[in-house]
Amino acid sequence: MSKLNLDNQKIQEKMREVARNLLKEKKVDLIIGYSEGTVPLSSAPVFIRKEEEVDKLIWNNLCYVNLAKYLIPNIKENVDGKLVDLKVGIISKGCVARSIIHLMVEHQIKKENITIIGIKCNGIINRRKIEKEVGAEEIIETYLLDDNFIVKGKDFEKKFNYDEYMNELCKHCTIKSPPKSDSLKDIIVGESQESYSLEEKFEDVIEFEEKTPDERWNYMKELLQDCTRCYACREACPLCYCNLCFVDQNLPTWFGKTSEISDILIFHMVRALHLAGRCVECGACSSVCPMGIDLSIINRKINRIVKDRYDFTSGLSLEKLPPMMAFKMEDKQEFMLEED
Amino acid sequence: MIEKLVDKKDIPKLVKELTEKYNFYAPIKVNGNIEFKRVENVGDIELNFFNSKIPPKEILFPRMETLFTYNINGKNIEIKEPEKSEKKNIIFGIRPCDAHSFVLLENFFGFGEFKDKLFLNKRKNTILMGIGCNNPRNTCFCTSLEGHPFKKEDMDVFLVDLDDKYLITPITDIGKEIIDALSWLVDAKKPDLEKAMKLSEKAESLISTTLDIKDSYKILDSQFSNPIWKEISETCIGCGTCSFLCPTCTCFDVIDEEDKYNNKGRRIRIWDTCQSCLYSLHTSGHNPRNGGIERCRNRILHKFSYYPTNYGLIGCVGCGRCIQLCPVNNDLRAIIKKMNEINKKEEKSIIA
Amino acid sequence: MNEVIIEEAQEKEWEPKIIAFLCNWCSYAGADLAGVSRIQYPPNIRIVRVPCSGRLNPFFLIRSLVDGWDGVLVSGCHPGDCHYISGNLVARRRFAILNDLLEFFGIEPGRVNFMWASAAEGERFAVLVRKATAIVKKLGPNKKFKKEW
Repeated sequence: MSKLNLDNQKIQEKMREVARNLLKEKKVDLIIGYSEGTVPLSSAPVFIRKEEEVDKLIWNNLCYVNLAKYLIPNIKENVDGKLVDLKVGIISKGCVARSIIHLMVEHQIKKENITIIGIKCNGIINRRKIEKEVGAEEIIETYLLDDNFIVKGKDFEKKFNYDEYMNELCKHCTIKSPPKSDSLKDIIVGESQESYSLEEKFEDVIEFEEKTPDERWNYMKELLQDCTRCYACREACPLCYCNLCFVDQNLPTWFGKTSEISDILIFHMVRALHLAGRCVECGACSSVCPMGIDLSIINRKINRIVKDRYDFTSGLSLEKLPPMMAFKMEDKQEFMLEED
Repeated sequence: MIEKLVDKKDIPKLVKELTEKYNFYAPIKVNGNIEFKRVENVGDIELNFFNSKIPPKEILFPRMETLFTYNINGKNIEIKEPEKSEKKNIIFGIRPCDAHSFVLLENFFGFGEFKDKLFLNKRKNTILMGIGCNNPRNTCFCTSLEGHPFKKEDMDVFLVDLDDKYLITPITDIGKEIIDALSWLVDAKKPDLEKAMKLSEKAESLISTTLDIKDSYKILDSQFSNPIWKEISETCIGCGTCSFLCPTCTCFDVIDEEDKYNNKGRRIRIWDTCQSCLYSLHTSGHNPRNGGIERCRNRILHKFSYYPTNYGLIGCVGCGRCIQLCPVNNDLRAIIKKMNEINKKEEKSIIA
Repeated sequence: MNEVIIEEAQEKEWEPKIIAFLCNWCSYAGADLAGVSRIQYPPNIRIVRVPCSGRLNPFFLIRSLVDGWDGVLVSGCHPGDCHYISGNLVARRRFAILNDLLEFFGIEPGRVNFMWASAAEGERFAVLVRKATAIVKKLGPNKKFKKEW
């Protein structure tokens, strides 16, 4: 059995053990994790309240949903006629923990209610890319073998190199388990990452920016033309929690809701603008898109902007203010008509 | 015999002839996804496919449709309706489940006093040339809803993939007209019909999902306030993928867009979803479906309870798109099974 | 006489239409000073007065491009001189990210311009407006975000 498979199994065992203990000792009321999907290349988030159900929890390379989404609004339950905040344990790979930390910075969730069950993620498979390459064949089984992701059907078997067919954002990830910090040591159980490299060259973004404006415009048009405005990307993102999204505003109506290319491009551009300094590059938006649109180049771009200009990476510290919540006299202003 | 044959290598010829007289829509691969689009180059057609992600309802009920445009010249307002195509439409390669969805869509848009002329006119001028499903997917369940992978009654012309050729069966008068016009088609022979019959039986046996739907609307009606809906809708993120990709979902929003600087504007309608938080928001600010539980429950009840109650038809065709494409794998089959189980438990307790 | 004027106007080459958001305390006063001092600057800009550059929602700039404006100009107080202390500093971060994103999506650099101009800098205001107009004129009409129907 391949190393990746063994790693996954170990992680799964440890995760179930930790979850079982937390429920037994009543440290949490609810555990949010992943369970086996009912269609190939998918996994289903699951809410577990009893010890007996802990065996539903799984870990594999298809756990693409960012579970931090379910923490907002605060999960409440009716206890003796009063609505009480539940204590939640949440299975967190690195990016999920980062989004939880960022939500704490934005005061959306309370530290006392959360227990982060840390696990080390070795990358999520790009399910849409594989689906498109398999084409019109029913997938029956998928598994890992050596460094390959094997996809098996009734009359076919295809091999996909794991490193090549990972999500684009997972390829650049350096924070694979929840980042360790003193202020969070009480809420992280399970694996956490001591050190990580934040040296990021963003070569893919730089390469894209070498194109001319017209080439970039055409590339974006082709990338986003399939968008049906279903908003799966927005709903899957834990950091898109506005009660009324800008596209739904109508006094005044800012931008159209149609599927014309101008409206689609504006939706994605403004959504990226609102996620500057907040996106944790979990890749959930691209994994859940029903049309298989890969938004990773846009996410990489906004993270490059805040890294270059303000030296900020989201979701690592409870103390450092995100760039859009602060300002400095010395901010770079090379884009001005005339720098003074 | 009325059945004809066409070799797969002659399909380009068939398509070319039909594109001259009709607006021809067929499955085309765009960015890796199958979509029903107007055929420009015959070579673009992809007939080795399961089904498109966006259902063919899009051709008659597009994502965005202009109702009218207006121009203001001083005191005069000129209103223009969009041009109607003179040619009729042919949708080639449509699957039996999607063809049945057209029956449900016609029912919705044509029911009662207010008939949707936009849709109904287009539907009147649309001819369905469908293909049977030799290989249904694991998520298909048309047979549980009075459908069949080889159901041809809802189509005008029905094709069966016999490996190297297609068996063509005209069903309606219009279908017969079209096939007669293609005079170069050869007659089918008895072995071809038998092969098609065998493929039909095989396809039926390959459908692995069965849902017990016959009493669903009674069950769902009685379980409206059951707390199990909280459990069912827990993981739903409220996106709208299921309604946009559902062949029978029909809700739309009407929007006015204005170009003030050029004194013109237009009224359009776009797809809407009951999963949107704005869908049932009253102007007073009250929202009867304020949370995920109510909205998730509404969709299931609409298809399996309200639709049968209002129209006597079940509002689902068993295409399986919502199961395949739900971002959080909230499986409709599991939900229906859960509801049926509650009913059985209740029945048992009543008997006991 | 009227026909001659209209004909001449129609024969002239294309001139860009630029919407300018000026902050009330510095830039708008600067523009006013330019006018009072009879300093000529191109009539292509249409001025919208806002209390502070920090008032500007990035949506205003994007919506202007969608509505068909060929260029956008934003002007505020110099950093450190904002009438509301830090409005322009907040705005500067917003504009930086918006500008980078617009360029990333393929809007030509130079369509959306930002500048600082104080109430005493009438000449500087005129110079920079001339510069912005020249840049936008070279880029040509805005066709990208504009919806055509």
